[in-house]
Amino acid sequence: MPITIIAPKQVRHPYDAQHDIASDSSSDVDSDDSIAGGADLEGDISMKSRPSKKARTGGAPSTASKFDIVTPGEVITDDPQWMRGHGTYIAPATSSIISSVAGTVTRTNKLLSIRPLRARYTPEVGDLVVGRIVEVQAKRWRVDVGATQLASLPLSAINLPGGILRKRTETDELQIRTFFAEGDLLVAEVQQLFQDGGAVLHTRSLKYGKLRNGVFVAVSGMGGGGGVVRSRRQVWTFDAANDGGQIDVVLGVNGYVWISKHVETPEGVIDKTAGITNMEENISATMYSSQNDRIEPETMREIVRVRGVVTALVENGLRVDEDMLMRGYHEAVEMALVSNDGQDDVYLGGERGEQLAAALTGI
Amino acid sequence: MASTQHVLLSPAELAYLHASLSLTPPIRPDGRTPTQFRPLVAETGILPGTNGSARICFADGTEAIVGVKAEVERTKLSRVGPADELEGTRLVGDVVEGLAGAGGTENITEKEEIATNGADWVELSVEIPGYRDDDAGTAFLSAMLAEALLADGEFARKLYINRRFHWKLYLDILLISPPLSYPLPLLSLTTHLALLSTRLPRLKSEGDEDPFFDDDWAAAPYLYPRRKGDSGKATSKPPVSLLVMAVGNSIIFDPSKEELAVADVALAVSIGEALSSSSTSLGKKATTEDAMNLDDGEGRSLRLLSVRTIDPPSRLTPPGVPNATNSAYGAATATQKQPEARTAELEAVEGVWKAPRGGAKPLVMAALVQKVLEKGGVADEVLDALDAVDLV
Repeated sequence: MPITIIAPKQVRHPYDAQHDIASDSSSDVDSDDSIAGGADLEGDISMKSRPSKKARTGGAPSTASKFDIVTPGEVITDDPQWMRGHGTYIAPATSSIISSVAGTVTRTNKLLSIRPLRARYTPEVGDLVVGRIVEVQAKRWRVDVGATQLASLPLSAINLPGGILRKRTETDELQIRTFFAEGDLLVAEVQQLFQDGGAVLHTRSLKYGKLRNGVFVAVSGMGGGGGVVRSRRQVWTFDAANDGGQIDVVLGVNGYVWISKHVETPEGVIDKTAGITNMEENISATMYSSQNDRIEPETMREIVRVRGVVTALVENGLRVDEDMLMRGYHEAVEMALVSNDGQDDVYLGGERGEQLAAALTGI
Repeated sequence: MASTQHVLLSPAELAYLHASLSLTPPIRPDGRTPTQFRPLVAETGILPGTNGSARICFADGTEAIVGVKAEVERTKLSRVGPADELEGTRLVGDVVEGLAGAGGTENITEKEEIATNGADWVELSVEIPGYRDDDAGTAFLSAMLAEALLADGEFARKLYINRRFHWKLYLDILLISPPLSYPLPLLSLTTHLALLSTRLPRLKSEGDEDPFFDDDWAAAPYLYPRRKGDSGKATSKPPVSLLVMAVGNSIIFDPSKEELAVADVALAVSIGEALSSSSTSLGKKATTEDAMNLDDGEGRSLRLLSVRTIDPPSRLTPPGVPNATNSAYGAATATQKQPEARTAELEAVEGVWKAPRGGAKPLVMAALVQKVLEKGGVADEVLDALDAVDLV
């Protein structure tokens, strides 16, 4: 079946009950709230529904908790006993707490905060991120890390070939594109933050550098329980099922994920350079390669399976970390065994993803 | 030709994607089979103020809504003489055939004049967030969708009221999510559904008098009439445009953005159902009656309406640098003055991305079209699946 069409899920409308009350109480409603009558030609929402919204602002957020999602500008409460937390603000000269993002209200004792539905990544020093070069400047790269601003990677913050502690020269500046060019993916660490939230990255470790031999998947939105969370291990290698060999996973804290074939230190480089005195130097040379190694179809299939698990987790609002991903992967392998196409079936979209998520949360 | 959006992918990613998609069977990054579409959520009748509307949402988050509005418009005829009825209707029939793009050379001037009007009977606007209305890509998309619609041949006839009036359809096609992938299949499927659900008020007047309509919406007939009986399926269908691409020897349907970025060839193939000879008689009423006589059992015969090549973004991607010439790889390598300038001319190295060059081979194009039109193939199943969507 090449195409699956799913009927839309019934959306629970939080304001439905209130709309009814509003239209009952006021007889001079100019446009029906019940929609069946036709489109609202003025294009604006009936003003009559506003008072109902007002009605609940007076109360404590206990009323608000019935309505899960708040929108920017919505008054959560005007009771002064509450303290404002993240995602809220207090309008000047009032005591009402207003939401500044779209999200769900959470209460911690007397602290009110909003967990955003979608949020951009906020860099913190020490975060491991996966980024994509979008701009090459004279002495630095601008890197997309999914934050509000592009991060910058100075030429002085990378391992230059020919020695880990070499000083950068003018030749390096001229050849800046041979290290990273536009579109290249890299894994790096946040070294420093600017006042405005912009990040400065560095790749001065053998763990970091250009990415190859695999696929990229961007997992956006960290709110709502889904997405990549900061955890103990962001990078790991595991043995794939079905003769897939070893697979590396890099979970960038920013929600960019890289899944690739695990490559041992390539022999070619060691042969080429004369002395093997400086191991680090040799490995660092492979850092700027954009040539893929030979990858077996079995490995590719398992890489796709891992990618499918990541997207299925995100689509179903589950967090993505090592534990979940590995459990999901083993579950997916099991699921493939019972499917029609056998173990080669790596599709995890649509219903399969929901099945997978159900199996994971059910345990 | 269309300018597809530029995608930023690293040469290593492109090489990997190309390698995995060229395998037999291809391994797609989202695990789909070559002919599989992204799962989608579809509903119709979402906009109460329109004659027909639909919404489709792909699993990757791209979403489109289409609204169809109809308006009665006076047909511009150069000569509205007291010509006999039969000829008048025949005239429009000819015009409709002329619209089919057959390029009728025997057309007299008068017919051509109406033919241009016929194309004006549909106004299609496509809106893609972040793009201007007159952006080349947007204009191309709307031209492609309109072309498929009119190439159907039958479409203008459906809008015919009488010799002086006709329906004018306004199709508003809105992509309401950022264009994460080339939106043609999404927009086309949504338009298809919206047109399927479109109803026009029932005509009460007769002949060439000023038209007036039954104000009972429940009695309004569908633009694409239904079969009687339990199936309730449409007797004829709006066209549907599918995006097909080829990488190496693999033919892939509904490519995602990443997949399109390594395509050798990408085609937009518009298909419709072939007209049966009985339904070519004129007037909507006649068509409806004929349609009712058709039995459910007969197989569908597909008809190719148009084929357009889409310029895949792969041609604009930067080539990868093989390790042998990479000055940053291995300290010993001699530095060249302009390393990038040279790489484009290199031989293909395994594992290094090289953008496809040259045009599409006729054999590949033929294979792509063949694959779409196959009996019981993708197009068949897509049309069946869309037919199964509940119409509100």
